[in-house]
Amino acid sequence: MREERNEEFSLEQMEQETEAMLRLRYLTPENAAFARTEGGFVSLKTEEEEYSRVQVVRMFPFSEPGKYISIRTAEETSKEIGVIEQLERFPEDVREMLSEQLALRYFTPVITKIYQIKDAYGFAYFDVETDRGRCRFVIRMNGNSVVHLSDTRIIISDIDENRFEIPDVTKLTIREQKKLDLFL
Amino acid sequence: MILNFDLSKEELAALSLEEREEVLYAVPYDCDRSGNFVKNAFTVVTNKRLVLLQNAVKEREYLLAEYEAIKAEPRINCGVLYGVKDGQDYLMVRYSSKHLARYAYVARGIALLKSGSTERAVSEENEKTCFVCGRALPGTKECPHCNGKYKGVLQQLFALLASYKKQMVPIVIFMLLTAGVTLLGPEVQKHLLDDVLYKETSDYPLAALLLLAMFLVGIAGAAINIGKSYCCSKLGSLIARDLRSKLYRKIQMLSLSYINEKRPGALMNRLMHDTGRIRSFMADIFCNLFTVCIMFVAVVLYMLVLNWKLAVIAFLFVPIAAVVSMLWRKNIHRRFRLQGKKSDNVHSALQDVISGMNVVKGYGKEKEESEKFNLYSDVFANVQKRNEVFWAMFFPLLNFLMGVGVYLVIFSGGREVLGETMTVGELMQFVNYTSMLYMYLGWLNNLPRHLMDLVTSTERINDIMTQEPKIKNTEKACKPEITGAIEFKNASFGYHSYEPVVEGINLTVKPGEMIGLVGASGTGKSTLINLIMHLYDVDGGELMVDGVNIKDIDIDYYHSKIGVVLQETFLFSGTVFNNIRYAKPDATEEEVIMAAKMANAHDFITRMPDGYNTYVGEKGSRLSGGERQRIAIARAILNNPKILILDEATASLDTESEYLIQTALERLTSGKTTFAIAHRLSTLKNADRLVVIDKHRIAEMGSHDELMAKKGIYYGLVMAQLEMQAKKEEAGA
Repeated sequence: MREERNEEFSLEQMEQETEAMLRLRYLTPENAAFARTEGGFVSLKTEEEEYSRVQVVRMFPFSEPGKYISIRTAEETSKEIGVIEQLERFPEDVREMLSEQLALRYFTPVITKIYQIKDAYGFAYFDVETDRGRCRFVIRMNGNSVVHLSDTRIIISDIDENRFEIPDVTKLTIREQKKLDLFL
Repeated sequence: MILNFDLSKEELAALSLEEREEVLYAVPYDCDRSGNFVKNAFTVVTNKRLVLLQNAVKEREYLLAEYEAIKAEPRINCGVLYGVKDGQDYLMVRYSSKHLARYAYVARGIALLKSGSTERAVSEENEKTCFVCGRALPGTKECPHCNGKYKGVLQQLFALLASYKKQMVPIVIFMLLTAGVTLLGPEVQKHLLDDVLYKETSDYPLAALLLLAMFLVGIAGAAINIGKSYCCSKLGSLIARDLRSKLYRKIQMLSLSYINEKRPGALMNRLMHDTGRIRSFMADIFCNLFTVCIMFVAVVLYMLVLNWKLAVIAFLFVPIAAVVSMLWRKNIHRRFRLQGKKSDNVHSALQDVISGMNVVKGYGKEKEESEKFNLYSDVFANVQKRNEVFWAMFFPLLNFLMGVGVYLVIFSGGREVLGETMTVGELMQFVNYTSMLYMYLGWLNNLPRHLMDLVTSTERINDIMTQEPKIKNTEKACKPEITGAIEFKNASFGYHSYEPVVEGINLTVKPGEMIGLVGASGTGKSTLINLIMHLYDVDGGELMVDGVNIKDIDIDYYHSKIGVVLQETFLFSGTVFNNIRYAKPDATEEEVIMAAKMANAHDFITRMPDGYNTYVGEKGSRLSGGERQRIAIARAILNNPKILILDEATASLDTESEYLIQTALERLTSGKTTFAIAHRLSTLKNADRLVVIDKHRIAEMGSHDELMAKKGIYYGLVMAQLEMQAKKEEAGA
């Protein structure tokens, strides 16, 4: 059930909440029971409480996609219920359903092949193959459309605010790298 | 933004619409639940169902009646639409960021539908890419390529110039003169060669005459060019200035809702950058545009007349030269942009470190940082070196290629000269024209890019110019006597139509009453005030002032009856005197002094060396917050408004200035309808009534005592503030 938080402001309650935010609570297969909901989300039952839907959030979405996963309440101003240190430690069915939720939350296609990059009047038009299928997108030439996360890893943001990842630029062919040259 | 895409016949058939069922919204979705791209997929909302179509096949369907609510939830670079049924959430469809805003509108549309309203969600936002050609739109509503405007570049140019006919006359004359003089040069040269140098007898007077003619042609050419550049630059500046002031006037007329929709820099950009681009086009490109076109045609014709065989040989290389120079330009452009990018990297790395120097030093990271900087610097140096080498190697080659036509002309012409069917002078003249031809060719090659720049800029300017202000005087705009009676009748409003900020507001305020608005931030207090100030129109319901709908009151007249004191007082750069007089420019010195005295501002103003003539600096930066505030109060007092708005007027002030301001405000507000917002509830103790806003609605209303007795939200807020106060004092003691 979606609980209606009491809107009345109470200092005591706030102190408790800030205190609670300090704790790092790990969820393990023993203390947390995840289950698929009918609606396509995941519910959680811990020793203290039951949540009809939880959010599954990566803390290090690029560097550690399978580690440190924050399980949070569903509402907009979500609070952390607990943290999964390593997804691997959970049995396969749970891993699967949590991975599904992660896939549903994040959308950063990985570019595997560059067919064409055309630039015209301040925009660059990309035609690429990604792990999610072939895709065309447009980026702005000025500004921070291309961000280097490391020397080889780049993130490209298009004008729709979609993001595309190239995990290792050096793994592209020389021809492809040449097309990308302007953005590196 | 399009919320109702056209569906194909097959897609409509797949929906199998029932009787009295119609498609309300149809928007694409571009990825499936596991995040793979899908094509030809639509989410269709009818008045009964939500249907997912893929390749004209029904994938899923949901009956709207079964769900309590349908919500669009933004996620990381994507979003999901889900329905709530018996407290459970049901995932419906997923989409990438491309359609994030679209689905937010659709969710709002479904909410409207479920509330029984016949209103449809509409989006005023612009699309980011053109659906026809796939090009990115330069911040405009329509695609400049697809609505036919691109083809009409010249038309646009003429439209731009239409009102400057008088300034155009000398420019056209100069253009024709340039063409004439340039063509004349080689002609004179020819005579010099044939009639003087290659003659056996020496004809000194003729030689002197021809040399003089050449000299005069040179002088005339320079003079005409100066005149032409002068006129063009002047016209360019004039057009830019006119556009700027037109734009500025338009922006001021447009309602805040339009201005708030744009990114903060976007309007500034259009005002300065786009008009600047038009100016530089006029000065640099336009002034040569027609000259070059005339010359190009004239040279070609002249060459054909002189010797058509030779002319054809000269033209042979034109297409090749055109292609070569285009490729060259593309390559060079790319290379130097790359260089620019790398140089930006060096700059930003430098700026990063220098502005964060205390952190770098504090953590002892000087060495790492300098290594990082060296790396950027090396990359830049390498690119630069490569480019210089490229330039040095290929530029002569390009020149050679561009000149091949000339060599051919010399070769075939030379044979004719030897065969004595042509004179040396004629050949020289011909060679001159040929090189001119290739020079203009290079210039014309560049033209499309400049024209596109011009079109983009005019397009963006037109985008604003064609906007209709949302708040404007209606035909029956009147100027009723305003006493300050305000009535909200079931009013609702949202900055975006899909997201209401205040809903179902019913409030009657008597003239002279002081209303305190209370509530957490983001609940809609400031929005209510914006509505009272008539910066926005209510979306639903009515707002009446003295029994007249606010929409029917003359806007300027109404604004002259309102006074505003905000938390962050905005003073314009100028003197204290002018700032106080801002709302009433014809106020006398005495009136200003009286107002300043009432506002407790007179003393500190006279203490300053320049008194009322003190220059306050940009945004009033030379004055303290409390001083600025009191000037704002004096400004409001002078204006003697009937309706007064105080938005956190006493926040963030020290105790003394708070007291001074408090008393000044009491003088100001007496007898005027006042709306006050304050986080510190103690400052609202004078209010006749308090209105507590919560969850976009009026939650509680009454005097301080009444609300305290009720022990509701207000009581909680007061108690919490008292507790905090006590805690602070405890900590302080």
